[in-house]
Amino acid sequence: MSAGVIPVSVLTGFLGSGKTTMLRHLLRQPEFSRTAVIINEFGAVGLDHELVAASEDSLIELQTGCLCCKIRNDLAQTLQDLLRRRDERRCAPFDRIVIETSGLADPAPILQTLMTDANIAGRLVLGGVVTTVDAVNGAGTLEHEEISQKQVAVADRIVLTKLDLAGAAKPALLNRLEELNVGAPVLIADHGRIDSPLVFNSDLYDPRTKSTDVNAWLAQATGHAHSRHDADVKAYAIVRREPIRAVALTLFLEALAEHCGTDILRLKGIVNILESPDRPAVIHGVQHVFHAPAWLDRWPSDDRSSRIVCITRRVPQRWVEVLLEAIGEEVADVPVGC
Amino acid sequence: MSAAPNDLAGELLAQSLVAWRVAGSVERASDGALVIGGSRKDIRIDRAPPHDMFRWTVTVDGRTRGAISLLAVLRQVREALDPGYTANRVRIAVAPLVPSS
Repeated sequence: MSAGVIPVSVLTGFLGSGKTTMLRHLLRQPEFSRTAVIINEFGAVGLDHELVAASEDSLIELQTGCLCCKIRNDLAQTLQDLLRRRDERRCAPFDRIVIETSGLADPAPILQTLMTDANIAGRLVLGGVVTTVDAVNGAGTLEHEEISQKQVAVADRIVLTKLDLAGAAKPALLNRLEELNVGAPVLIADHGRIDSPLVFNSDLYDPRTKSTDVNAWLAQATGHAHSRHDADVKAYAIVRREPIRAVALTLFLEALAEHCGTDILRLKGIVNILESPDRPAVIHGVQHVFHAPAWLDRWPSDDRSSRIVCITRRVPQRWVEVLLEAIGEEVADVPVGC
Repeated sequence: MSAAPNDLAGELLAQSLVAWRVAGSVERASDGALVIGGSRKDIRIDRAPPHDMFRWTVTVDGRTRGAISLLAVLRQVREALDPGYTANRVRIAVAPLVPSS
């Protein structure tokens, strides 16, 4: 990661799934001492910020509504203000930001803000999404609350909570989590306590970690990618042995955004670009917004195939495959570099 | 640019109908054109003549327009079949297309 670039992690999860309890524990750990926290509460009276022990001047409560749907601009403004205060040494120094969303928040717009807002680009980078899931009620919540499916689908890490009450993670819940997001490791929090380096160490764009992370989610997603036919949300991997033209990738992502943008819950991939055979591109998108590719210095393994992991709502895998194939055929004789 | 094979174009159209959740099926006419039947419009997709500035032509209820690429074909077909469709014109920059160094 470039010097001075601050990772922003998003902590999400349905109401009562243990986000605040886990955050409270994490903020007591020495490695989280330089962390600024933004808490979004839904409702007239916010309580969560009272429960999180953090430096007062580096904790911000956004109480004007649900972060996902009403105050995206507020989030961007808040982040800018936070950076200004940091630059002017008017707050405790921090080198990490954690945003705790409300339990009803759709995390996608938040991720899009972090990826695209011009005023914070260059200073902040999405550092990963952590989603808490209640081991007692999680299966039912996932069955009935669509927003909870989305929260799981976009996660880089899933944290199971309340296992002390559930006894053990029920196979049905674990299967459902795997169906929704096969690439995300499932961690366990014990009364909010968790091995902190594991939780927010999922920065796809950090050169120190991204190869490891790319390997992790690719191995899992392409190894067991499967779908459940009666579920709206499906995860699958598109694998291409042949290098992909840069222009084909651009057109492919544009077509996905244009035709199925709202149903692309998350897309992550490592792509062998014909024009850059030794430096693969890591792509990352949420709905109709795609981050500019991050270029790895080298391939993380001997496998040089392009692998694109898609978590979608009712977007057929075959459509994505044939779209990429057809675009590739159309641009096949465009001179390299155009 | 070269044209994608007709089979691939046909499969892309058929899969697109599924992805868009609109009614219709894709068949090949005896002259090689792709025809979308069973939908609310009569749609026919032909290869444009050689040296034409367009690669494809799309005929919807008798009105023919050129399409420079398969993506343009998809857009025209969807506009015809999906009344609720509003093309997302936002362009997502994936620049630089190749790493700078």
